Amino acid sequence: MLRGYKELWLAFLAMLLISGLYAAVYVATRAIPPAYELFGHGIGIIGFILMLMTETLYSLRKRSRSVKWGKMSTWLQSHIFMGLVGPFMVLLHSSWKFNGLAGVSMLLTVIIVISGFIGRYIFTRIPRTMDGLEIEGTLSQEALKQARRLMSLWHTIHIPIGMALFISAFVHIGAALYFATLLK
Amino acid sequence: MKRNRLGCLTGTGLIAALLTALLIAGFAYARGGSIYSPGPLSAQSGEMRGGVTSHAQTGGNCNACHTAPWEQATLADRCAACHTEIAAQMRNVASMHGTLAHNNPQLGCRDCHPEHRGADAKLTELHGADFPHEAVGFSLNGHPFTAAREPFTCQDCHGDDISKFDPVTCTGCHRQIDAAFMAAHALAYGTACLECHDGVDRFGKNFDHNRFPFRIEGKHAGVSCDQCHSSAHRLSDFSVTSQECDSCHKKDDPHDGRFGARCADCHNENGWRPAKFDHNLASFKLEGEHQEVPCDSCHINKVYKGTPTDCYSCHQQQDAHGGQYGRDCAICHDPSSWEHVNFDHNNTQFPLTGAHAGVECQRCHSSGQFTGLSTSCSSCHGDPAFHAGMFGLECASCHTTSNWSAVYKGPHPGIADEGGSGVNHGGGGCRSCHTQTLSTATCTQCHSGNPGGD
Repeated sequence: MLRGYKELWLAFLAMLLISGLYAAVYVATRAIPPAYELFGHGIGIIGFILMLMTETLYSLRKRSRSVKWGKMSTWLQSHIFMGLVGPFMVLLHSSWKFNGLAGVSMLLTVIIVISGFIGRYIFTRIPRTMDGLEIEGTLSQEALKQARRLMSLWHTIHIPIGMALFISAFVHIGAALYFATLLK
Repeated sequence: MKRNRLGCLTGTGLIAALLTALLIAGFAYARGGSIYSPGPLSAQSGEMRGGVTSHAQTGGNCNACHTAPWEQATLADRCAACHTEIAAQMRNVASMHGTLAHNNPQLGCRDCHPEHRGADAKLTELHGADFPHEAVGFSLNGHPFTAAREPFTCQDCHGDDISKFDPVTCTGCHRQIDAAFMAAHALAYGTACLECHDGVDRFGKNFDHNRFPFRIEGKHAGVSCDQCHSSAHRLSDFSVTSQECDSCHKKDDPHDGRFGARCADCHNENGWRPAKFDHNLASFKLEGEHQEVPCDSCHINKVYKGTPTDCYSCHQQQDAHGGQYGRDCAICHDPSSWEHVNFDHNNTQFPLTGAHAGVECQRCHSSGQFTGLSTSCSSCHGDPAFHAGMFGLECASCHTTSNWSAVYKGPHPGIADEGGSGVNHGGGGCRSCHTQTLSTATCTQCHSGNPGGD
């Protein structure tokens, strides 16, 4: 489980491609793509959908007892992939302005990505099967206990940050709809 | 602990969500809608309107300008409520704002005067891209950058007064892009650029001429516009350019007009050759053996127009009749073959009727002469000795072609006319009495020699 850095490389490649597209739009228009125009808005919407999906789909699969679609390792890999590419797209959507609630949402996004990296590090310390189950006996009981404690602590921090992020993002979307998209 | 289906719905997660929502609500309550603002409002100050001298002074009161989606009023209505003099201009089509509003009813104030660009942003200084330039008759779609590849500013074209424009500006910049093209273009079409160009159509290589009735196909594709539209100086001039071939190709015509002006009857856009000429569209159709004849047999020296269409102009040398039948061969012959003759003697001055119909041609035309022969009977029929020269040579006064054995019914010396029916002396024919010639007669053929007897 999570051997190597395949999902990180794939996410890096995807971000490189998106950066290329962003640069092309910048060169063509000679301006930073504004958050409210087609490209800027598009990457914001797609990025946020990726962020939303990475949480909901992964959580559903993780806690699903009846249906076992795909290996947990693949789901975690896609969670990490979407959890990196989504926030990167949202960052480009910001057009490098971090005012008000939108700025707060961006800040929370950055924090949760960093938190995710930390979580990935702790997670990979514990030997697991392909379905994410811990393999007993490879670590000393003490080390395993400590790792589990750290993982639990991390969950307690990571999830609230994510919830705060989603609430602020939803309010930002609602305000954008009210004040800009539906503007007459 | 019972695990929920979504990992985020933990106790801490829900508390975090609630706290975030409360925090946002608290900020919104304390600071108004400014937390939703994409950027500070302009601090450009002016007269006191609506209780403020600048937009920035409205603070977090979004509703000062923004209306709810379900409200009847719009953002522009809010603008007009404060900026009453601009609202008045927009109702007057003679003013710039009025022209814009009239030509583009969908246009809102914010399309030209966008906000939330910072406190220092000047609302009355337009960025080129923000102004819907097409609403005043010239789109800037084709003008994203100057000749120096920099974004346009209003001053680049208008100088200090945006309501004025000098077309020299166009030529000045475009010479920097392609001096040779501009020189040729100005020579061909003049320098009143706006007469044709509206900023949307570039009329360049990507211009699609095929949306007009005259489609550009074949070799026409490589022709420069001014070769056909040579005298166009405004857009409407282009539409009146003649679509007739000879309006452009008259000077190329190797036939010198002998084939007329409809080049396309024989040629197409892919080249002058190969040409497809359908002689049957001409007044002289090629039928029968004429189809095999080389063009220059009839069209001497390649003169095609005005070629005589009478047979004799070509066939005089071949006239087997030596001109006796006149010059119109087609009376008897058709183009399928000379041997195929359709001669009807009845169309001549001497129709063949009665016994003449079965007579061999040579009997009358014995010397090979077919025209100018006498049509009098005596030219063939001599006066028989029996007539003894009594009736002259007008056979037809007694005979017909269907009844040569005529009976004389005129007066007869010495024999009484019986009942007006002419000579019918006993019902016999002439030869009953005139056994040798009409100048001699015998009675005894019928009557005995005894005058007192019967």
